[in-house]
Amino acid sequence: MSAAMQNFAARPEAAEGPVVAVRDLRAWYRLRLFGVDREVKAVDGITFEVRRDEIYGLAGESSSGKSTLVKTIAGAIKPPLEIVDGEIKFSFMPGTKGLSRAPPEIAARVRWRHLSYVMQGSMSVLNPVRRVGASFVDFAARHMGLDKAGFEAAVIAHLARVNLPGSVLMAYPHELSGGMRQRVAIALATICRPDFVIADEPTTALDVVVQKDVLGMFRSIQREMGSSVLFVTHDMGVHAHLTDRLGIMYAGRLVEEARTPDLFARPRHPYTRHLIHSLPSIGDDKPRIGLEGSPPSLASPPSGCRFHPRCAFAAERCRVEVPPMESVGPDHRVACFEKDRVEVTP
Amino acid sequence: MIGALLELDRVSMTYTRGGLLSRTRVEAVIDVSFRLEAAKPEIFSIIGESGSGKSTLARIVLALQAPTQGAVRFKGKDLAQMRGDVERHAFMAAVQPVFQNPFEVFNPLKRLDRYLYATCKRFAGAQGETAVQAAADTALRQVGLSLAEVRGRYPHELSGGQLQRVAIARALASGPSLLIADEPVSMVDASLRASIVNLFRKLRDELGLSIVYITHDLATAYSISDRIIIMQKGRVVESGAARTVLANPQHPYSKTLKDAVLEPLAPGARPLFAR
Ligand SMILES: Nc1ncnc2c1ncn2[C@@H]1O[C@H](COP(=O)(O)OP(=O)(O)OP(=O)(O)O)[C@@H](O)[C@H]1O
Ligand SMILES: Nc1ncnc2c1ncn2[C@@H]1O[C@H](COP(=O)(O)OP(=O)(O)OP(=O)(O)O)[C@@H](O)[C@H]1O
Ligand code: SF4
Ligand SMILES: [Mg+2]
Ligand SMILES: [Mg+2]
Repeated sequence: MSAAMQNFAARPEAAEGPVVAVRDLRAWYRLRLFGVDREVKAVDGITFEVRRDEIYGLAGESSSGKSTLVKTIAGAIKPPLEIVDGEIKFSFMPGTKGLSRAPPEIAARVRWRHLSYVMQGSMSVLNPVRRVGASFVDFAARHMGLDKAGFEAAVIAHLARVNLPGSVLMAYPHELSGGMRQRVAIALATICRPDFVIADEPTTALDVVVQKDVLGMFRSIQREMGSSVLFVTHDMGVHAHLTDRLGIMYAGRLVEEARTPDLFARPRHPYTRHLIHSLPSIGDDKPRIGLEGSPPSLASPPSGCRFHPRCAFAAERCRVEVPPMESVGPDHRVACFEKDRVEVTP
Repeated sequence: MIGALLELDRVSMTYTRGGLLSRTRVEAVIDVSFRLEAAKPEIFSIIGESGSGKSTLARIVLALQAPTQGAVRFKGKDLAQMRGDVERHAFMAAVQPVFQNPFEVFNPLKRLDRYLYATCKRFAGAQGETAVQAAADTALRQVGLSLAEVRGRYPHELSGGQLQRVAIARALASGPSLLIADEPVSMVDASLRASIVNLFRKLRDELGLSIVYITHDLATAYSISDRIIIMQKGRVVESGAARTVLANPQHPYSKTLKDAVLEPLAPGARPLFAR
């Protein structure tokens, strides 16, 4: 173990601040196609933190940059994605700036033990030529300090929490259904009880009955350890029932953040309002309308407020100035010039 | 059996899993039968438990794998009797898949219009640049896009929902009569989800396409499907008119499934997974 690593363990105060603090983060895809440079500004100036002992939710339009943001935090950056600006600080790695800039041996120790990451579409992360059981041994065995039988029992007990039988350990990934692979990925990411779990659309391939068990598992291991979860999903029903605070992204930026019940009860950003009001439900025959206008291009985003071409509240100023993120109540921030008008409009 | 577009007759699929020493048999699909009428285009939804055999059924209907028992007939022809390239080719043009993740379907370094041109040449018999482009444009217009919007663009330059629509356009380019859509909207947000399922409805009504729609989203299944089957552990446990079944499910599993849908909370109500 390196000296720096021992330091982390020996510094209890490190555990008190937020588990991760992100400041002015910009992460862009820089592409060069046929000699033309192109920048996709998928994360463009985001500041937020995930506290200890909470589940922080992230929602927003498809392609708004949710996965790029969590990928960057998890240090899973590869070209053409680059951190262009900003800072990421973890409580369990004081003195270093984010995983992608940490020395490799520290990054390796931190992964799985302190931080784990369930990628979107994680059905495909498992090694296709190794049985599922071997992946558990590869990733988790050395962190758990159990003998072989104890380890296997612990794995089987943990799989049961996501509704999977122990027999999946003998299977190859392609022999499992999409939802079964997704649950294996979740079980792998949570079995070591890390301080911080990042999960990107982890339940999209699950039926609603199994989804409920899996969400319950996320909450109970979070509660057992007082740990933190960053949970990305476009399913607002899931956010309502699971997350403590919720951030809404639009076109590479965070546009609103609040305690989850407050966000549902009193959304202040027009895009958040749209998200909440477009929730479909069974038995409801009203045809659902998508948002008017086309999604913004992240290569040449709209000027000023990026939502202005689609916003019913847009004023002159919205086209030229970028609305700053401002506090409007306890734990409630919003980036909108017309936030007061939005609040009183039925 | 005149008039069936697709007919599954007591289809079962058993896999063997594991090594030489520890073989386990998995009964992924058990005795499933249903039929779609050629004269009555419909959206036929399959919902159910994760691991209950839905994707297996989709692969069997697409002739990507053969069932261990039972028969699948498309327009009266048994898929197991399909012989030679010409027959296969005609079948592939007529029955097209749409998959869950459009980002995985397209190569990020290949222009999207190229995919459409290739399909138009291969399946729609379009010859020459103008005809190929016209065919691609027609397919894109059916999904609310146009060749002008897509030409020269790469997958990452479109949003997930737009990309899924391009994937559907490509499926339409061969002039199919049946689409097999395995969780086509699970990666997209509610608003794009609405626009894609509305598109399915339009394809059924205007082009007379039948669609097998596999999903975990009960709300969209309710809003667009004509008939539905609910699967658990390889078996169909309930089937019928979608609205009747979902409004008032009879089988215990169907009831559990409906009750597990997470609805947004009434103000002041306690979340299920509160701290
Ligand atoms: N490897 C890549 N190269 C270039 N652009 C990319 C790449 N990956 C993603 N993008 C682009 O970055 C933007 C943000 O994508 P991201 O995956 O972060 O969105 P998201 O909010 O997670 O969307 P979804 O809800 O559909 O998962 C999109 O415009 C996407 O096309
Ligand atoms: N190639 C295979 N070899 C062995 N078993 C398989 C194979 N493919 C699927 N299975 C098994 O068949 C069963 C059904 O899988 P299938 O993918 O059809 O389920 P599904 O209903 O699509 O589930 P999901 O909702 O999770 O996608 C599962 O138990 C799976 O493990
Ligand atoms: S700043 Fe203006 S354009 Fe942006 S969301 Fe608010 S009102 Fe709409
Ligand atoms: Mg994503
Ligand atoms: Mg499946």
